[in-house]
Amino acid sequence: MAFKRDGMNKNSLTAKRGVILLVLFAVILMGACILRIGYLSVIKGETYREKAERQQLSDSSLSATRGTIYDSNMNVLAQSASVWLIYVNPSKVTQDNIDKVVNGLVDLLEIDGEKLREDIAKNASKGYLKVKSQIEYTQQSALKEYISENELVNIICIDPDTKRYYPNASLASTVIGFTGVDGNGLYGIEYFYDDLLTGTDGRIITAKDGVQSELMNAYEIVYDAQQGLSLVLTINSEIQTILTDALAAALKETGAKNVYGIVSETSTGAILAMANLPDYDPNNPSEITSQAALDKIAAAQSEEEQNKLIQEARYSQWKNKSIADFYFPGSVFKTFLVAAALEENVITDSTSYTCHGTISTAGRTIKDYNPKGHGAETPRTLLVNSCNTFSVVVGQKLGIDLFYKYYEAFGFTERTGIDINGEDTPKAGVAYYDPDVSFSASDLASASFGQGNSVTPLQIINAISAIGNGGHLMTPYIVDKVLDSEGNIVKETTPIEKRQVISETTAAQVADYMKDVVNTDKGTGKNAYAAGYAVAGKTGTSEKLSEGEGVYIASFAGFAPYDDPVISVVIIIDEPKGYNYSGGAIAAPVAGEVFEKALKYLGVEQTFTEEELAEMIVETPEVTGKEVDAAKKELEGAGYTVRIIGDGTTVISQSPEAGRSIPSNGAVILYTKTDSEKQMAVVPDFTGLTVSQANKLAVSRGLNIKISGSSASNSEVVAYRQETEIGSEVEQGTVITVYFKTTVGVGD
Amino acid sequence: MASAVRNIKKYIDSKGGLFAKGSIDLKLFGCLLLMLVIGLVMLLSATYPYAYYYENNSLLYFKNQCFGAAIGFVLMLFISKLNYNLFREIGAVVGTGASIVLLLWALTEPAYNGTHRYIYLGTFQFQPSDVAKFALILTLACILDKYHHAVLSKKPLQAKIFVKANSLIGKPVFNYSLKMIAVCGILVVVYTGLVIAGSHLSGAILMMCIGISLLYLGEIRGKWFVAGIIGGIAVIWLAYEAGFLKEYMERRITAWVDKDFEPLGARWQVNQALYAIGSGGLLGKGLGNSTLKYLYVSEPQNDMIFSIVVEELGFIGAALIIILFALIVWRGVVIGVNAQNRYGALIAMGVVFQLAVQVILNIAVATDSIPNTGISLPFFSYGRTALIMMLIEFGFVLSVSRTSKIRRR
Repeated sequence: MAFKRDGMNKNSLTAKRGVILLVLFAVILMGACILRIGYLSVIKGETYREKAERQQLSDSSLSATRGTIYDSNMNVLAQSASVWLIYVNPSKVTQDNIDKVVNGLVDLLEIDGEKLREDIAKNASKGYLKVKSQIEYTQQSALKEYISENELVNIICIDPDTKRYYPNASLASTVIGFTGVDGNGLYGIEYFYDDLLTGTDGRIITAKDGVQSELMNAYEIVYDAQQGLSLVLTINSEIQTILTDALAAALKETGAKNVYGIVSETSTGAILAMANLPDYDPNNPSEITSQAALDKIAAAQSEEEQNKLIQEARYSQWKNKSIADFYFPGSVFKTFLVAAALEENVITDSTSYTCHGTISTAGRTIKDYNPKGHGAETPRTLLVNSCNTFSVVVGQKLGIDLFYKYYEAFGFTERTGIDINGEDTPKAGVAYYDPDVSFSASDLASASFGQGNSVTPLQIINAISAIGNGGHLMTPYIVDKVLDSEGNIVKETTPIEKRQVISETTAAQVADYMKDVVNTDKGTGKNAYAAGYAVAGKTGTSEKLSEGEGVYIASFAGFAPYDDPVISVVIIIDEPKGYNYSGGAIAAPVAGEVFEKALKYLGVEQTFTEEELAEMIVETPEVTGKEVDAAKKELEGAGYTVRIIGDGTTVISQSPEAGRSIPSNGAVILYTKTDSEKQMAVVPDFTGLTVSQANKLAVSRGLNIKISGSSASNSEVVAYRQETEIGSEVEQGTVITVYFKTTVGVGD
Repeated sequence: MASAVRNIKKYIDSKGGLFAKGSIDLKLFGCLLLMLVIGLVMLLSATYPYAYYYENNSLLYFKNQCFGAAIGFVLMLFISKLNYNLFREIGAVVGTGASIVLLLWALTEPAYNGTHRYIYLGTFQFQPSDVAKFALILTLACILDKYHHAVLSKKPLQAKIFVKANSLIGKPVFNYSLKMIAVCGILVVVYTGLVIAGSHLSGAILMMCIGISLLYLGEIRGKWFVAGIIGGIAVIWLAYEAGFLKEYMERRITAWVDKDFEPLGARWQVNQALYAIGSGGLLGKGLGNSTLKYLYVSEPQNDMIFSIVVEELGFIGAALIIILFALIVWRGVVIGVNAQNRYGALIAMGVVFQLAVQVILNIAVATDSIPNTGISLPFFSYGRTALIMMLIEFGFVLSVSRTSKIRRR
């Protein structure tokens, strides 16, 4: 057989077709490759790119430090500090090192070893198992050492973390709130300003190669952490302490369910103090502080019920009731009624009315506190006596529309707009009578003396401040300044006036009436008296109709000094126990104490009435260094009782020291020898004594008293509390502050 | 001695002289040169982090590859000068013999990744299958050329047994054509079998593809041919189903079917390749800017190098490179179709189709279109023997091109 040698048999169709087919095949497949790459790189590119970047970029976060919360004096209220979080990498735990890992962690972190073993086994393929968070420095450094000693690097790992500290514990806790485990704000300011406080975590993005080391061309992008902003509150720790202490004493004395109060700057609406007791320690917010709640929990029948009660108790202690709780303001509301009526000229300063103790209106009879009636009254005495019947009449004169107009104008139908969460918008027809819903003549009668319409303590202090400051209704606020991490001011709050509610003249007029409520013998608010500060205020006692008969809320709202107020105070005693449940009896003294101390702290000058000046106690003169006889003569001449210790000829020291205000017959101890022992005295119980009785008792022990609160020298005014503990030993001559109040004529 | 020289001279003259006349096809040469340069540059870019990390010498792979490229290039030019017809019988006999020896030798070598695909000579290692591929082309080209008439012949076979069988069946089933199919088929099976014995699945697939395309180009047709192909595929499939394949091969197939299959990182390599391709996008990150070559794409110098190419040059760059491959294939086919004789035609087309199959399989693997068989990308993947062999093969193609009567327009 001879074979042709003429290349591909060009005439052979099969050969040609074969080549074409194969070429076609190759071209189609190569085209398919191109399409496939196009699909993967262009259409699916984004997905793969992201996945690639996720594995390539080692993204470690630079955690932003949460901002600090300061009070108005730049005292720290809440601050974050470095702590550490410990985790293990279960995928690197082997049979050989598991004992070292577990034992080390158990020893150093006091954790459950068995559970850790289980967790490691469960997560054996994972790279992250959290062991414990919020580890303090000492534990962290001990663990660090353990890790390096036992070559457990990358098996036990330490991550920086932060913890929130509240140095003042429970002080203002319901305002400040607290943060959760992951550092986010859960309540209060921490919650409301969470975004500002949190800042933005920074990131260090480093390109890593496939074996997790840095790339050699050191590609690194650093997004700096934006540190959280700090807040400077309007809250003043000193005033907050004054308020809290006064409330705490009241809580104890009255056995109330809750007590709460606010102190604000009358002219601006800045909140200087706000407290709700019982409260909690934000360092440990879950711990229940209320003994009553704890007793209830302990008595719970089932675990389910117990848990429910625990939860309720927590929510209750976390709640900022002074902005969240609606209550009937009672007679405090009469202030606004009178203000509205005066503003609308439906009454004048001289409008007269005779109170007979009851009034029939809208088919029912309304009784006054005083069944005999207050007799002849003017708007001023309406407030001084806290007269219900006259209030009903004024309400009628005003009429539903005008009543509602001012109710709205004083801000009771809206949120105050304070910058903390928890404030609810009052619901028309539920929280208050709304003419658009239903508002009867009977409703008007009740509303005129503060029953039926619900308000929050914050609304009340805001409205009462409007009377104090000449009619300006302000938006209350609690954050004064926002600072960046370098301390520069980022934002500063300027007080915002919502509207002028009443004219300055009307406001001044009502303020003057309110001063008499506190500063006259007949005034129901006389227990709020603070010498030299001309407190103006109004008491209120309302029934908690929803809780049944005999459940009350006692309150006091006011400002001082009455003609140029610096601060406003509202005090609420929720469900007091016992016979004394009226605002005048139990809330007004608290307010008086707060006014006295806070205004003194703020350096507000005391101005005394002539009457007060007459009773004024002179300051002790400086006699140290003088001849004993001369000193004695001088002091006795001024009316003091003098005791001389030792037989020296000159006074070496005196107790109390010079410049202290003590009653005119107070005791002064003069030491004449350097080695003479300090003369001590046991503090007696002053409770229940009148001013003169108390003074007498004090002097007999060589002590002095300072009278706080109502100072009228009559049998109605008795001591109810003293600053120095009964039975404690103090140096003779010491001045002990004793609080006096009256229980007579303060029935509202 | 003198007579031996005279005999050789006679042999050379009978084949048409030692050197080929005419000039090489410059279009093919240009494309090859361009591809060689691109391949070397991309190899440098893809391997320097890997080489730095594992060998502490960023340029190691690049240098070695350049060395191979230089040798290959010289050999290509030299071979292109020679008259390829000289190698017809010698190439077939020596090639097949050498391939069998080398492939058997590889089986005795220590395992690499569970396979026996390398021969180690000191620090130098090479894959005998690279040699075998070309040997198969040379052998099949020789047989299909030399016995072309037999391929086409329907004449029954003369051996007694076949005469008897044909008469039994009543049809001349056992004819010369079938004999050729059987001879070539056995040859392909022997080559493939030896490669598969070394657990070199991709090499085996390549071997089969080369065999099938050459037989097809050699005008082997008919149902027996089709049956043979189907049978071959069926055997491999059965081997997979029955678990005869080595575990790692099965794992790779499973990893392809189940995209979440991840024991011991079976999909790691492919996933990284996909990430690289995706990261490239339309225009790529720019030459040298791949991040996945930083030890993510395992062995970026090898099978997955094309994913780095896409990452750096983007879809456009990748498409242009595939098109350049296609042009080389096209030019090889043109040279082959117009070759002076069938032997030359089969060599030229055999070589370019081998190239095409390798490129397609490699890219299909890198794009997760087929299971990860582990096939290298010609001109790009690191490997000196492979590159030298590739260039030697194109030396033959260029030699064919000298006498190819391409119509020039």
